[in-house]
Amino acid sequence: AAEMHGRKEPYRTAELARLLYNEMLSTAEVLRKWRGDDEDEDEEDGVDEEKEGDTFFNRAKNTDVEDTEDRHIPKYDRSELEEKWADEENIEELRSRFASANLLKEGAGDDEE
Amino acid sequence: MATVPSAAPIKFEGSSHLASRLVLSTLTGRPVRISQIRSSSHTNPGLLAHEVSFLRLLDAITNGSAIEFSMTGTTVVYKPGLIIGSAAGYGASGGVIRHELPRECTRGVSWFLIPLCMLAGFAKAKVNVLFTGPGVITSATEKGDVSVDAVRTAILPLYKHFGIQNDIELRILKRSNPGPGGKGGGGEVQLVFGHQVRLPKTIHLLNPGRVKRIRGVAYSTGVAAANNARMIETARGVLNTLVADTYIFSDVSSAPLIPAPERGNAAAKKKIGVGFGLSLVAESSTGALYSADVASPPQGGEAPEDIGKACAYQLLETISHGGCASNVGASTMLTLMAMGSEDVGRLTLGKEVIGTEDILQLARDLRAFGMSGWGLRDADREDEVVVSIVGKGVGNVGRKIA
Repeated sequence: AAEMHGRKEPYRTAELARLLYNEMLSTAEVLRKWRGDDEDEDEEDGVDEEKEGDTFFNRAKNTDVEDTEDRHIPKYDRSELEEKWADEENIEELRSRFASANLLKEGAGDDEE
Repeated sequence: MATVPSAAPIKFEGSSHLASRLVLSTLTGRPVRISQIRSSSHTNPGLLAHEVSFLRLLDAITNGSAIEFSMTGTTVVYKPGLIIGSAAGYGASGGVIRHELPRECTRGVSWFLIPLCMLAGFAKAKVNVLFTGPGVITSATEKGDVSVDAVRTAILPLYKHFGIQNDIELRILKRSNPGPGGKGGGGEVQLVFGHQVRLPKTIHLLNPGRVKRIRGVAYSTGVAAANNARMIETARGVLNTLVADTYIFSDVSSAPLIPAPERGNAAAKKKIGVGFGLSLVAESSTGALYSADVASPPQGGEAPEDIGKACAYQLLETISHGGCASNVGASTMLTLMAMGSEDVGRLTLGKEVIGTEDILQLARDLRAFGMSGWGLRDADREDEVVVSIVGKGVGNVGRKIA
């Protein structure tokens, strides 16, 4: 539990603003930090050894893969997407983003606002 | 900018973000030097066919550009000239620049169109480019390019926000899917961009609104029209419960022919670019556009039902990212915002959208070109960020001088 608390909450806007122009980090690293994917992130250590190895490894991989080209459509795993959106719950969650979902519901939402 | 002594070029490394860097260079008039382009690759170091072609295109629509390659093609120095557009006397015949894409091109024509549109608004004269040749792929590609339908329906309308809206048209003259091995196609597309501005308007798009309608285009080239019907049916099956106002057009065309001279017959032609695909665009009540694109792979073997379903799910995913611009449109909007007048423009983006390497790199590149940094703050909704960008008033260099 302590670990959970120690870790910063991911996806914080201020955090991204801080990392955005930090030229020491590559964009991939910035993203990983921001998402909180870095398991062993220690604020004090800055760059611990394992991470350094990690980025090195990453970079080597990037040059191998020809797919680092600028994509306009991000690469999606189709089966994952299908799984996600075949789930009724996720659809229901998204429903608030649609105008036509349910006029009654929308009216109620307006009243609340 | 002939009178100004050229500044030292801005240095970049690597092959990624090449197009956006060249666009920024052209817009700001600052020379760039891009080195180490695939220098570690043993099989194909240096620039690829589509990148060389893009440099040629830049050369065609500008006047006074200088492009230098190194021997191996791993380094490019680009000194931008003025964006002239398709004015007569600058390589355009009858007001149209014919741009031929080579057979080896693996990227969809949207890879050229999206950056070209960014430049076109700042040209001196109307931009009218006809993309033709054996390398024009109009469909979505495996490499992550969107289809031309998405450019037409999800990118070009974005320019309306910036006060650029008249006489803009993308004509799809001939469709083509990627050819064998994902290389080449035989399509033909004409971009007419006739609204040039001094500065784009400052935008304040904060409310993404709600999705109110979905439009789409299903295309089949050289295959049975039934494929369209099958894609449309499955896509509607997913989307109809959410948006009743869903309409998907169906476009069937025969496969394009490209010259393929043989030993015995010099005039031989062969069919290329057979396949099908689906492009969906969702529009929200405030004019935000979300798009999804899936096309059949060049090696085939996928049922149209799968394509339709994958595309519909991709659309839902894009919508769920939220914000006023999707992945596809964000770079266009952010670049135009940076070029705008010296005022703060604001744009809400989904965290998933801004949290991509492309966008982060764009932020850094913009700063490298002397643009102001981005301000980020939380938006009303949990998963969105408001990006505020102070324009630099760079705008249309050509118009400033004239």
